[in-house]
Amino acid sequence: MAEPVATGWQPANFIELSARERVAALLDPGSFTELLDPFARLTSPWLPKQGIVTQFDDGVVIGKGRLNGQPAVVAAIEGAFQGGSLGEVAGAKIAGALELAIEDNRQGIPTCAVLVLETGGVRLQEANLGLAAIAEIHAAVVELRQYQPVIGIITGPVGCFGGMGIAAGLCSYLLMTREGRLGLNGPQVIEQEAGVAEYDSRDRPFIWSLTGGEQRVASTLVDAFVSDDADAVRAATLRLLQQGLPASHRTDRADSMLAALQQLDTDTQISALQARTLLAFALQQPAASAPQPEAGHLHWGSSRGEQWSQALIAATDWRCAAVPSVCYADGELGGRACRFILIRPDASNHFPRARQGEVGLLEGWALASLIEETQRADAELPVKRALIAIVDVPSQAYGRREEALGIHQALAAAAAAYAGARLAGHPLLSLLVGKAMSGAFLAHGYQANRIFALDDSKVLIHAMGKASAARVTLRSEAELDELAASIPPMAYDVHSFASLGLIEGLIPVQHADDPDKADIERVRQALTQALQQLPADDRHLQCRLQGEHRGASRQVRQCLRQSWQPESH
Amino acid sequence: MENLHFQRPAHTGVKRRALVGYVGSGDLEVMIEPCTTAQADIHILTSSPSSETRWRQVLERIEAVQPFPAMRMDIHDFAATPGVIRLRIEQALELALQDQEVSHG
Repeated sequence: MAEPVATGWQPANFIELSARERVAALLDPGSFTELLDPFARLTSPWLPKQGIVTQFDDGVVIGKGRLNGQPAVVAAIEGAFQGGSLGEVAGAKIAGALELAIEDNRQGIPTCAVLVLETGGVRLQEANLGLAAIAEIHAAVVELRQYQPVIGIITGPVGCFGGMGIAAGLCSYLLMTREGRLGLNGPQVIEQEAGVAEYDSRDRPFIWSLTGGEQRVASTLVDAFVSDDADAVRAATLRLLQQGLPASHRTDRADSMLAALQQLDTDTQISALQARTLLAFALQQPAASAPQPEAGHLHWGSSRGEQWSQALIAATDWRCAAVPSVCYADGELGGRACRFILIRPDASNHFPRARQGEVGLLEGWALASLIEETQRADAELPVKRALIAIVDVPSQAYGRREEALGIHQALAAAAAAYAGARLAGHPLLSLLVGKAMSGAFLAHGYQANRIFALDDSKVLIHAMGKASAARVTLRSEAELDELAASIPPMAYDVHSFASLGLIEGLIPVQHADDPDKADIERVRQALTQALQQLPADDRHLQCRLQGEHRGASRQVRQCLRQSWQPESH
Repeated sequence: MENLHFQRPAHTGVKRRALVGYVGSGDLEVMIEPCTTAQADIHILTSSPSSETRWRQVLERIEAVQPFPAMRMDIHDFAATPGVIRLRIEQALELALQDQEVSHG
């Protein structure tokens, strides 16, 4: 157990508390035991290689204890260390704690979870390992929320962004203060990608008006507003916990959200009031009917994703889902029924910032709608269709409308649908044929049981585009390339990614842009074999932990397991 | 980033381990653990380059008031000023030398 940080003076403001003090303030008095505490000295293996000072707990505090007598685990992120960003160790602490809470529940111990979210998302100095850990956090939240509430708390000052914004969107319940912010893309990155007219990162009132606690509560993207007071935060958390599991989750609103988004006028820029009205209406309407996709054949473009989709399944078998940018086709691999899913560029996308193949609001919700429909259709089947995600996504969409209308929630819906289908017994494979970037990859592909990639130089995987990553980390692009050469998680190439153990197989192809018969056969064979070899009860992501450069991810889980005290019910 | 190491002879040891602060801008974390040798063993990881002289002076100032107990001390520094450094080290020593463990909250 860690000694306290406090030195006598205890502020009542929750925002002023350190992560460790926040955990202590939340849990029942006297029940807090810290797991993998700072004295274990399990720090980031990647920061010292870049000349960056580590912190003994890597910026995450895991507290086991009780909430109103119920067994609970609280994970709090320290926003003051590296902007609350998640690297390999910090991410594994949260994922590993949630995984142990799931195991408790399988054994009848009703352990619930609270996440204190103070984070910009992936730590760019550990890019792909941070992203992988966040995908594992998503998987764990989706599974744990089937048993017990997972409550997210966003108080500020950092706010909650990136992949952890998606994690917030997966929570059973969310609490926010006025000072908190919740979104997908940080203001600086949006300004970098979309221009200052779209998003002025220095205009604080503007940013809070779209993503601040008051707006998010009014939009019903968050369940309750809480004042910045330690006792009030604990009381509000206990009240939500007392409600038990929600009847449905915010991620279940795909059809009503799609209908509302498609009716939105996207010729003029959105106001905070408009966003609030649309969301408060659509998120409270679980029963809206699904929008009808366009009839007729697809018009194909020439993107990598489209090339490979038509190579694997006849072009005429493909259909649009709710929007033209999300397509699917039913087919087979080695006799196993499969549904292939693609996100592709749509030059006339209703949302202008998602016209280059980005995963935006419509894409996230349309993926969710499509996968939920697949799961419903196969619910009674003993052998369910495999889902094959064909991944060629340059990024998530960056824009004012996107943040205002909760793109983090749209991407959470997609991740929840994929993870839910996997847990229900749909084998889930991803095939990376082009870019697999950041939030887009988290929404489309990263929840797969097995990930495959073409062995090709244009297959790129990362947490952020190079120009933005350079700006955020105060380095030049050349410096980033130099670091990536010796630090595998920072690299963009598929071989470095494979060395992290996140890929089941690299598939050699001769013509990645225009595949020939032999290329197609090799890919089909690899996917077929994976489906045949996937054990029916393998519904998790554990196989990704074996990579040579994921030693810390394994060690964190092992240490957490050793100190996890099983509670008697 | 720089790794520094200082050693001082010491007699009585600390009673318990302690941790204060965090690696935020202009701040530092100080960890103290009991050790079996009769010396204060101080390991510093700092983001400020060429700061050995400055650290030596800060430690000497603290020592002038209160000799270091036998311990292992680890410091992770993120460009803290001498005033903040001194405050954090004194906070950590105060906790480590207390008879009773202070409970959480």
